[in-house]
Amino acid sequence: MDGPVNRIMVYVDGSEQSITAAQYAVCLARSTGAELYALYIVNTRALSDLVNARIFLQAEQEEYQHDLESDADRYLQHAKQMGRDKGVAVKTLKASGTVNVEIKNMVKDNEIDLLVIGELSKIRSRRDELYNETERAMRSVPCSVLMVKDEDYVLDVYNKLT
Amino acid sequence: MAIIDLISSDVIRVPVKSVTKTEVIRELVDVLDKAGKIKDKDSVYNAVIARENMGSTGLEKGIAVPHAKTDKVKSLTMAIGIAPEGVDFDSLDGEPSKLFFLLLAQPDQSGPHIEALAEIARITRSASFCRLLLASENADEVVELFTED
Repeated sequence: MDGPVNRIMVYVDGSEQSITAAQYAVCLARSTGAELYALYIVNTRALSDLVNARIFLQAEQEEYQHDLESDADRYLQHAKQMGRDKGVAVKTLKASGTVNVEIKNMVKDNEIDLLVIGELSKIRSRRDELYNETERAMRSVPCSVLMVKDEDYVLDVYNKLT
Repeated sequence: MAIIDLISSDVIRVPVKSVTKTEVIRELVDVLDKAGKIKDKDSVYNAVIARENMGSTGLEKGIAVPHAKTDKVKSLTMAIGIAPEGVDFDSLDGEPSKLFFLLLAQPDQSGPHIEALAEIARITRSASFCRLLLASENADEVVELFTED
């Protein structure tokens, strides 16, 4: 097929907002016929930063990395199941590193033309330190980005999809 | 979720009244309990202490970031405490800790947990921001510092 949206990628990080985004992405893929990818990034950059800042012990870094790998598998399987329930094949992608960099790389490598992300926090501060990795990704990827809002509406749309 | 979404005046204690490490942790857990953020304060306290027993989260320059995974919170939760006089927290540089960020997360929320901790690491690198936090006289002033534009 060849339409404005052929390859959708939804970024899931385990937050409720990202699960809502995955539901919406399934609906979009169904209605557009686009291929759907679900991506989880194991944030090894943050783990390293926490060890460097001495907030994490070495053993803690390993424990959390293991947790993140498990989370990745669980949430990606969940996304896959959400697609399967609605007749949409979801291809899963997993990477490690700095979240915004890896999202950008995955968008390029998989020729994604629409990135779907969960709702970001409202802008309540201009402090540079209070930035969000997903927001950085949104600003740096070369494709269009859709930020999914209104959890209740999305759940209703998803549930009505037969 | 950004840590700014976790901050409200009912999860901030200024000044912290406790004078020992374990008392500070207990005081901040009590703050979260009163704010309705946790289910079983003793269990949460024990989880934080268990983590501290592996190695102190008292960092340098008066910052401490006690944290734990626990299923006694519904979602990512944070309390902030400010002790201008400082409390011995077995910190890396041996100096008393004055700014406390207590972070709790469910065991299956490692991603948001790590991002929140990384965010705390970033903001506490700003000496000027830490000075402003330390000069806060009440919880509302702390909230304003995080939200000011």
